[in-house]
Amino acid sequence: MNRILIIDDDEELTELVSEYLGAEGFDTVAVHSGVEGLDKAKHGNYDLAVLDVMLPGMNGFEVLRNLRESSSLPVLMLTARGDDNERIVGLEIGADDYLPKPFNPRELLARLRAILRRVDGSIHDDLPERISVDDVDLITAARSVTVGGEPVALTSLEFDLLAALLNEAGKTVRKEDLSENVLERKLSPYDRSLDMHISNLRKKLGLRADGTERIKTIRSAGYIYTVV
Amino acid sequence: MKLFVKIFLWYLVAVAMMFGVMVFVTRTFQTEPAFSRWQRSARNQMAFYSATAEQIQAVGGDDALRTFLARLNENGTIRDVLVLQNDGTVLYGDPNFVGDFENVVAVARTTGETDIEVNGTDPALGATSLHFADGRPAMLAIRWEPPRTPSFFFDSWVGYMRLAALLLTAVIVCFALAWYLTSPLGKLRDATRRLAGGDLGARVARRVGRRRDEFADLAKDFDNMASRIESLIDSQQILTRDISHELRSPLARMNVALELAKKRSTPESTPLLERIENESNRLNEMISRILTLSRLESGTEDFSKTRLDLADLVRDIAADAEFEASGKGKSVVADAIDECSVKGNENLLRSAIDNVVRNAVRYTADATKVSVSLIKDNGHAILKVKDHGGGVPQNELENLFRPFYRVGEARERKTGGTGLGLAIAQRAVAVHGGEITAENVDGGLEVKIVLNTTSRNGN
Repeated sequence: MNRILIIDDDEELTELVSEYLGAEGFDTVAVHSGVEGLDKAKHGNYDLAVLDVMLPGMNGFEVLRNLRESSSLPVLMLTARGDDNERIVGLEIGADDYLPKPFNPRELLARLRAILRRVDGSIHDDLPERISVDDVDLITAARSVTVGGEPVALTSLEFDLLAALLNEAGKTVRKEDLSENVLERKLSPYDRSLDMHISNLRKKLGLRADGTERIKTIRSAGYIYTVV
Repeated sequence: MKLFVKIFLWYLVAVAMMFGVMVFVTRTFQTEPAFSRWQRSARNQMAFYSATAEQIQAVGGDDALRTFLARLNENGTIRDVLVLQNDGTVLYGDPNFVGDFENVVAVARTTGETDIEVNGTDPALGATSLHFADGRPAMLAIRWEPPRTPSFFFDSWVGYMRLAALLLTAVIVCFALAWYLTSPLGKLRDATRRLAGGDLGARVARRVGRRRDEFADLAKDFDNMASRIESLIDSQQILTRDISHELRSPLARMNVALELAKKRSTPESTPLLERIENESNRLNEMISRILTLSRLESGTEDFSKTRLDLADLVRDIAADAEFEASGKGKSVVADAIDECSVKGNENLLRSAIDNVVRNAVRYTADATKVSVSLIKDNGHAILKVKDHGGGVPQNELENLFRPFYRVGEARERKTGGTGLGLAIAQRAVAVHGGEITAENVDGGLEVKIVLNTTSRNGN
């Protein structure tokens, strides 16, 4: 049974969500402040955290920033609907996904399952065990990536994106396919999360030794992991 | 006519009239008395000179008389002195002048009195009889310098200079006065316009300067009014935003509770629960749109803008809309799409165009098409979206872009709109410095969006 940590100050909402997720086979724990949430996320044994941005005291972004210093616990952020900045900031800091609030519980469930499936690595059945493209070495089962022999810490989503791009290195991977295969949802026009994740991935991988960008954007088509 | 010009001209006319009246009065009431005074004094002079000449001649003879007359001639106001004996000989003076004096001498001789003859600006002539001790009859004739009338201007270039200086001073003073009176009005007008144009921070008191008059008071009152309006609108916007934010929490709880209820529902209650879900989604959508609108209207947010391919965006939206419209037996056709790019925020522009196209699909009659065209024209991208939905009453066209405005009650609700789509589109286009207008074109509504394009190299 998956253990989910819900960090949201709306106690009634967390009660209802716990009930709903409980019926779907999740074990949920709800906390109502950022500080407490951060502590539990760091030390509790959870598979995933649902984190609201608007929290009294320490807000969701701060919690996530602190958490990312030591943990790669998958995080789904609940952002204010209609606020582009919030979701962009959330993804930048390292959230795995976001959901605008108020959300449809079925959507929440689908997102949670998608993230968890990714963490399990169950969607990589069709990938080779190991992919090496120039100085990048990716081992699927261990979910580890090294660049020039140095390990790079990626979130599970970034790992999956990189795996998908490396597997097709030198070819353009369509945004639609990345969205459906990695994020497990249809690409919607306003969804910038793919771009944000790719941008994070670029930062973490760094430039090639010759100073060129590893992942290129093909306008209104997709991304390509370039081969020298 | 501009107030400045009016005030300037009126003051100038007033000054000119005052000047004219002054000259007229001076001429009428000072020139005439001065003139007759001069005539009187000329008469007295003649009497005095003739008496003196008679005495000197009696004592010292003709030579002494000549000396006296020569001295008299040196007098600045007298030009010529002539003494004519009745036998026609000239006792003193230039014989050439005899003709000049003929008239006045004849009059004086026949009347026996002093005669003064003034003819305009010519030198005045005077003649009187002399009665010498030896009995010789003779006439004393004097030609004066022209009588000095107190003419101030038109007599020499100095006069014209004086006149010009006076006029110039009048013009300068009038100009300064008109400027002093109208310049605060211009500033007030400018601030009023800016306020009306949506710049709620427009203030004027500091620009009017350190005056202490009705204008300064008016400027202060204007500022008070502007502050009041600004705070009212601000608080209204904040209230709208806060209400919308606060509505989300119960809505979020309701969504989850609803989902739980659906799990336990009986077949009879399921359709009702689905109805509740629909309404909840609609509420959610409306709140999102109100928040989007208030962000657009606050004007404080800096929307990041990049160069984007407008043609691509329009084709994309048209394709999506066509997909949805085809399900309802309608269609969306992108007829002519010129390649062009604009600098803008993709999300905002997409939602603006999307709202307009969806609106057209909603209202176009069944089995008709919505035409979308994008034309590049002289630095502008002109997007036209035309439906076949019967159009909108002419006097309501402008109101289309007002939030929650509904043409014909309940029509939009039935067709599923939130009443905010076009309002959001208008604000989003305005954020990009563009313009959105609507007009009726043969049996349908045509919405036109005009944006500035970027050149090929991306400026």
